[in-house]
Amino acid sequence: MVFLSLSRWVRSRGPPRYWRVQEVLQHARHFRGRKNRCFSMAIRAVRRAFVYSTKARKAKKRNMRTLWITRLTAAVQEHGVKYPHFISNLAKCQVALNRKVMSDLAICEPKTFKSLAALSKRRGEEGLVAALGDGKEPEGIFSRVVHYH
Amino acid sequence: MTARGTPSRFLQSVLHNGVGRYVCQLKRLTLVFSKDAQPSRGAREYIEEKVVDFAKQNPGIVVYISPKPCRVPKLVGEYLNGSVREEDINSKTAEEIAQLIQKMANQSGLDIIRIRKPYHTDNPSIQGQWHLFTNKPTSLNLQSFGGASQHTDSP
Repeated sequence: MVFLSLSRWVRSRGPPRYWRVQEVLQHARHFRGRKNRCFSMAIRAVRRAFVYSTKARKAKKRNMRTLWITRLTAAVQEHGVKYPHFISNLAKCQVALNRKVMSDLAICEPKTFKSLAALSKRRGEEGLVAALGDGKEPEGIFSRVVHYH
Repeated sequence: MTARGTPSRFLQSVLHNGVGRYVCQLKRLTLVFSKDAQPSRGAREYIEEKVVDFAKQNPGIVVYISPKPCRVPKLVGEYLNGSVREEDINSKTAEEIAQLIQKMANQSGLDIIRIRKPYHTDNPSIQGQWHLFTNKPTSLNLQSFGGASQHTDSP
């Protein structure tokens, strides 16, 4: 067997330096200052930018979740519920909505969200009402989990 | 480069195409090729074997065949929204060209750019978007002007 291309790859030193520099500068064109035209500054800035963008891909998911939680905290506060209670009570009621959908509901469909808040509130009061209350269900809210067998 | 610097659009289709009925958005297809140049070989093969079948199967698409001396044979597609898309088909086999044409026929003609979110709606809210007074009592809207009512009573 004769390998022709491998020895050529080893000998070949790539495209001319001008084009290799342009490749880097192309990513730095929108940077501020001399970074967008001087190679030695550009290469450092571009490398840093790529590291940032790699990390941001992970961080975005976390940041979005934090944002939804902040929004939900504010939204349930209005209905007199605290966020941790709200989330855990809805989970106990088997409401399978995630934080993103619920924060969307809080903004776009406030009445739906109000009933969600009412549901979680009722679920939180359930134990105490069963012990002390008069044994009647409240009007319009059904918070017990029903198992279908 | 950066997501902010690149052009972007929202997820959409042309006039809800495909909801109910589907209208092929490709209007005209021009095949520019050379009768004797080497890179046009695949294009010539495609014309000999498949182009008539394609035209018969897609009566909504007008297919033009234009032989003229050229090094790079081309596919020029015109869409219902007026956009024109050119594809080079030099050194492509007939099979590859058939796939490319099928892809062009399936496309909507909208710009191929970054789509901001994988979901979009024109009516984001049914119940009305939340505002400061959504969950406040409506009595806040009422304001009594003691002096004004006296003033209106007097004449």
